[in-house]
Amino acid sequence: MPTINLSGAQKNYGVNSANAVSNLDLEIRDGEFMCLLGPSGCGKTTTLRMIAGLENLSDGEIRIGERVVDSVRAGVFIPPEKREMGLVFQSYALWPHLTIERNTDFGLRLRKLPKEEREQRVEKVMQALDIAKYRDRYPSQLSGGQQQRVALARMLAVNPGVLLLDEPLSNLDARLRLEMRAELKRIHKEFKTTIVFVTHDQWEAMTLATTIAVMNEGTLQQMGTPNDIYDRPANRFVAEFVGSPPINILTFGSSASAMSRAAAAYLGERYPSLRGVGSVGIRPEAIGYATKGGDVPAGSFTGEMTVTGVLPTGGSWILELRNDNETLFLTTNALPRVETGSRVDFFAPSDALHVFDKDGQRIAEADALLRASTLN
Amino acid sequence: MALLSETAKASTVPDGAIAPTPWQRWRYRAKVASREPTTLIGILTALLFTYLIVVPIISIVLDSVRVQFGHERRLGKDFGDLTLYYLDRAFFSPVSVDLFWRPLLNTLSVALGAISLSLLIGTVLAWLISRTDMFGRRWFATALIVPYMLPAWTFALAWTTLFKNRTVGGQPGWFEAMGLTPPDWVAYGRFPIIVILALHYTPFVILLFGTALRRFDSQLEDSARILGAKRYQVAIQIILPLMRPALLSSMVLIFAKCLGEFGVPYVLGLPVKFEVLSTSLFRSIASRQTGVAGVVAASIMLIGIITLMIDARLVREARRFVTVGSKGSMNRQSRLGKYRLPATGFAALIFLLSVGLPLLTLFLSTIMKLPAQFTLDNFTLDYWIGRDLNTVALQTGILLSPDLWAAAKNTLMIVGLASLTSGILGLLVGYVVIRTPVKALSVYLRQVTFLPYLVPGIAFAAAYLSLFAVPRGPMPALYGTVTILILALIADQMPYASRAGISAMTQLGKDPEEAAQIAGAGWFRRMISIVIPIQKGALVTGVLLPFISGIKGLSLFVILAVPSTDVLTTYSLRLVDYHYTQAANAVVLIIAAIAYLGTLAAQKLTKTNLAEGLGS
Repeated sequence: MPTINLSGAQKNYGVNSANAVSNLDLEIRDGEFMCLLGPSGCGKTTTLRMIAGLENLSDGEIRIGERVVDSVRAGVFIPPEKREMGLVFQSYALWPHLTIERNTDFGLRLRKLPKEEREQRVEKVMQALDIAKYRDRYPSQLSGGQQQRVALARMLAVNPGVLLLDEPLSNLDARLRLEMRAELKRIHKEFKTTIVFVTHDQWEAMTLATTIAVMNEGTLQQMGTPNDIYDRPANRFVAEFVGSPPINILTFGSSASAMSRAAAAYLGERYPSLRGVGSVGIRPEAIGYATKGGDVPAGSFTGEMTVTGVLPTGGSWILELRNDNETLFLTTNALPRVETGSRVDFFAPSDALHVFDKDGQRIAEADALLRASTLN
Repeated sequence: MALLSETAKASTVPDGAIAPTPWQRWRYRAKVASREPTTLIGILTALLFTYLIVVPIISIVLDSVRVQFGHERRLGKDFGDLTLYYLDRAFFSPVSVDLFWRPLLNTLSVALGAISLSLLIGTVLAWLISRTDMFGRRWFATALIVPYMLPAWTFALAWTTLFKNRTVGGQPGWFEAMGLTPPDWVAYGRFPIIVILALHYTPFVILLFGTALRRFDSQLEDSARILGAKRYQVAIQIILPLMRPALLSSMVLIFAKCLGEFGVPYVLGLPVKFEVLSTSLFRSIASRQTGVAGVVAASIMLIGIITLMIDARLVREARRFVTVGSKGSMNRQSRLGKYRLPATGFAALIFLLSVGLPLLTLFLSTIMKLPAQFTLDNFTLDYWIGRDLNTVALQTGILLSPDLWAAAKNTLMIVGLASLTSGILGLLVGYVVIRTPVKALSVYLRQVTFLPYLVPGIAFAAAYLSLFAVPRGPMPALYGTVTILILALIADQMPYASRAGISAMTQLGKDPEEAAQIAGAGWFRRMISIVIPIQKGALVTGVLLPFISGIKGLSLFVILAVPSTDVLTTYSLRLVDYHYTQAANAVVLIIAAIAYLGTLAAQKLTKTNLAEGLGS
């Protein structure tokens, strides 16, 4: 399947309503496992449906390779049934009046394949997804996980170049979800399909995707590998949306807390070019702590705070630190040697700081600066 | 495909925020809309219903302000000129009292009486059925709805069979025959009409009020009790205010139904010249006063529309009161204690009065030679299956009369064809309303198919007469044909059919069809393989429901049918007019049986309680 290209894609439901998707540029390359990630209502499902052709554009254009399939200005619209894609719905949308086998071979019958080949392909995909034993049952007789596999099988049977998945795991319980994640990864390898996957679950995105596109309020926030997204968030929204417990943000400015002022001073003194930035973020796992009189690594951003909570999460701990009205969270894998009420010195190395300007955009030049000083 | 050749136009999207031109937008939308027949079907059905529903209504409103045929000389104007003569005649002239004002007052008083009586009986029964430990609650829950499944004038005929006095000729009523002459006010006019309509519409109250009671969150009650309120205080301060929307709603609906009711006032009002709006309209049409008929019909429509708009408003208001709790809405029962037996007796009495007695009376009247003489030799099956009877006309029993079978055949053909058509059209409308990308089309279709609901059947029939009685354009004059009956029935049934279609399509959702689309199925393939098979049940209901209401319908037919297009209802009414009491009652019993069994069959098929959705 050639590259799918969205340029300037826009969608609004009515003249006066806000854009569900605005001015979206997106490129999905062959063989990619792309994840559209964002909070509910961010336009990710709309984007997926636009690619499938189930949603019309208000402006912009969609190309598959060099072929324009959807363009408001050129007046082109190729209907979904001619786009040769697969889509697994969040509700699975199995046809209730057809058996599992008829559900699965529906697309092949439409393509008028010879009977033998059809049976062969249905058999193969039903075996692969372990649903062959239910072939004569009706969808209502299957469990959620089984229905989900039928929905996948139905689309895989026609071997589409692109497989679109709309939150397919959200209706499954935790254990099934884990199994299906592994299943999806296997399918991606085995069938060599391009997969576009919509989710609001960051862990699903991180564990599955080769590329993540983070969306918010209809606009693309950042596109990159899972590591890019986590380690170099393009703005505060991405930084705060990805990661749990969420990143600690210290906002500078006139009404800043004592802790934030200390952070501003720390940056300003050592890196004159970073005076006047908007905020700084520190991931919880990048923060260390030392009990009173303990060692604090030189050159790191540090301060004294009170432990106000020790929350075990099984195998690791979250510590809640407070100072005036500022709260920091840090995570540690070692059994904490402190209890509620202890005074501790927290510290974070300079390369663990994510610096954002006043508009919340990442200041990329700061990265080299901060890393260099740690190496010294 | 022409679309495929338009490749490599990627550069047509310029940078910056310049929006596409309106022409580009329109062209794109047209392309999206035209790739499937959905929009085309939508436009065609919209045109069809404009012609079948909107145009007749406009036509009759115009009739009321234009010079009608035969009045040119008197008014000194040409046929079709604008005139206020008919409005003046109906509203301000000396005859206006007879034409409009007294019928209006009578309609209002009958409606008011029926509403009060049915509320009184209905609320008590609803409470007994849904919230107490009365004996046989489940049985009563179904049994007390039966009156609504039967045509209302079944009861009117039973009433005359019992109470008819010497004011009118023909076979005397049972009381008269026993030597007790009922006074006119008992036998005819306002009082019996009120009683019969009240009994007929009580199920409305039981259904609406009962549902509201069952959904009532008993935690609201408990909270008041815990704070120290007594039972009557809870009833007055908590339950009643929250039940108000349901009560008001049933009042408004009963009023709207009474407005269009024709059969009962026709049978019981005519002998004492007690006229309501619907019978006055009928008389105007029968005496070819087309202009005045237009005024009266338009007035009935206006009152109907206003009433149902009030109801829509009430329903909106009622949403503020939604008290459906998942846990608290369980069905809590009050113990009746020593009143348990009397309460059951009351429910049984109402059942006897509203179902048992009328049906038994009608049945007995068809197997007795002389009224109210209960000796063995007085019983006969001659009226059903007799041959060579010594009578002037109708010399065979009704079941052997070719007229009955002709009427039955007509009924099946006319009502059956109309129901089948409206059922299919309803599903199509539902499909278009839910699926079309052209929003205006969806809104228009939804509203235009609902319009007949606001217009009482008798006024709607008058509108049809006004439009189709004379040839217009390519359309020949349709009066007296089967076609006009079928068209009017289709239009009249569209509110139910389209509502069934829309709700079925809403329930289906987009997903199954979109999944088929993604799998590569075009429009026709999706219809045949996915939509129609899944909607089979909805289609059956959409045909069956209009069929039942069509079978017992009277007001449309009474205006549009002629002897050659007699259906069972008009046939029985004709028999009433000729005073063939036994035969008329037998035909009504047959209709009642078909309507009742049909409703039961529909309930079985759809596994729901359809009485709620049944409009007659």
